[in-house]
Amino acid sequence: MTLLLVLPVAWMVLTAIRPASGVFYVHRGTEFTLGNFAEALAKPEMKEAFVNSALIATLATVFSLAVTITSGYMLSRFSGAASNLWFGLIYLFRCIPYISWVIPLYLLTQWMGILDTYLGLLLPHIAIHICFFSWIMKGFFDGIEPEAEYAAYIDGCSRWGAFIRIALPMATPGIVALFILSWLYTWNEFLFALILTGSRTTMLTVRMAQFVHETGIEWHLMSATAVMAIGPALIVTLFAQEYVVKGLKI
Amino acid sequence: MLALILPALVILVAFQIVPILIGANASFRSWSLFNPQKTFVGLANYRRILADPLFYGTVLPNTFLFMLASVSGGLLAGLGLATLINRRFRGQRLVRTAILLPLMVPPVVAAIMITWMFNDQFGIANVILEALGLEPVAWLVSRWTSLAIVIGTDIWLWTPWFTLLILAALQTLPVEPHEAARMDGAGPWQVFRNITLPLLRPVLMVCITIRTIDAFRVFDIVWTITKGGPARSTEVFSIYAYKQAFVYLNFDLGAAASMIGAGIIMVVGGVLYKVLSYVVEVSR
Repeated sequence: MTLLLVLPVAWMVLTAIRPASGVFYVHRGTEFTLGNFAEALAKPEMKEAFVNSALIATLATVFSLAVTITSGYMLSRFSGAASNLWFGLIYLFRCIPYISWVIPLYLLTQWMGILDTYLGLLLPHIAIHICFFSWIMKGFFDGIEPEAEYAAYIDGCSRWGAFIRIALPMATPGIVALFILSWLYTWNEFLFALILTGSRTTMLTVRMAQFVHETGIEWHLMSATAVMAIGPALIVTLFAQEYVVKGLKI
Repeated sequence: MLALILPALVILVAFQIVPILIGANASFRSWSLFNPQKTFVGLANYRRILADPLFYGTVLPNTFLFMLASVSGGLLAGLGLATLINRRFRGQRLVRTAILLPLMVPPVVAAIMITWMFNDQFGIANVILEALGLEPVAWLVSRWTSLAIVIGTDIWLWTPWFTLLILAALQTLPVEPHEAARMDGAGPWQVFRNITLPLLRPVLMVCITIRTIDAFRVFDIVWTITKGGPARSTEVFSIYAYKQAFVYLNFDLGAAASMIGAGIIMVVGGVLYKVLSYVVEVSR
């Protein structure tokens, strides 16, 4: 069963290192090449897509974490009507299908003049994370006893001071794990990228999906691109898995 | 206190709540992308969607089938896998790496890999079938094999997620009830069925709730593998709404369809939330 989980990835890697002539009989033959990677990267639109995806993923992650850390802290440390209302809003809007807001979002970004710009991609990608991350951040802060913060108040620390000096450092492992997952999520995201990008800011997933339908026969190049697209995922699973698993307490 | 949520709230309002309001407004109007009039037409768009045989005859059944099959498939596979690996054994790290991998692979890439493996001429699936002396299958030409492949891909993508969450829950379970049951002579299956499973119920319910809501809005893997084809027979709700708005340029119909979908998932989500609170309450 574990083998079954690896098989599709393994098959893709195998296809990616076969020469063009060997692709249709991947299971036979022994010639291997790394040329596919170079050839796939030589296409300027591919290089651009890699850069765009990396840029948006990094920026969206930094900003969405920045705004949800405080939001989660509020949910965890304050009780009462405002906190309940905010949590209710978050659950409600987490449920709404993406398609219901990304269709009008197209109009909104067009009206604001930021359609097909980095800003027009970035802001919605921050918005995607707000509900879920606030929820998870609340969990991180719930796991930290507030006593240390109370002690800090007594020692003359302000609420902000206690938050920044006491609570934040204690939540760091979780936040780092969430940083990794958030980055991968935006890197992997497809629907928003499809609708909110034109020709100037195409993200990698969109470019690849176009590729399958336009040039569906160049499987060796397709596979090479796909292998590079799962590069960040591979790096995380191989080198940072302990951190992700521990940080999220899963 | 408000300052803490203000940035999040502003972005939420500007880029989620406002768009939803725009969409709701558009769904009551005659609003194609190039029509400046935008006359108010009441519920006409909703009526047209609900009267569309494709919507109620194909799209909704596909969506619910996908939701049920993919959530139950992922849940069962995850439960099985988590129970199996919940002990110390050699190669543990390797197994965990293998389990984590699908979780991080872009769904679009997973869909591309699967499309290649099920390619009717050169895909490995048909190579294996032929080696076994069976007829090759044109996988993506019929509705049911296409749906099966899409569902299989989704289960592949999400089994790790179920496994990790269930595994974490298994590791926090108290050992006493298990030991007591074993002393009383219960077999492994009985222990699992009567002790482990009831104790896991809250976390299973959380998994089901989150995944059901997400499975309802699936888009990327269906789009990449089938584009809703052949002949629109594998369209799910998100694909249908997307096509209405951006392929046929009926922005109003797309908005109305997406509102209907949002309504459906709100009801489902509400029910699940109630069940979840009940389950958590009972197992306390």
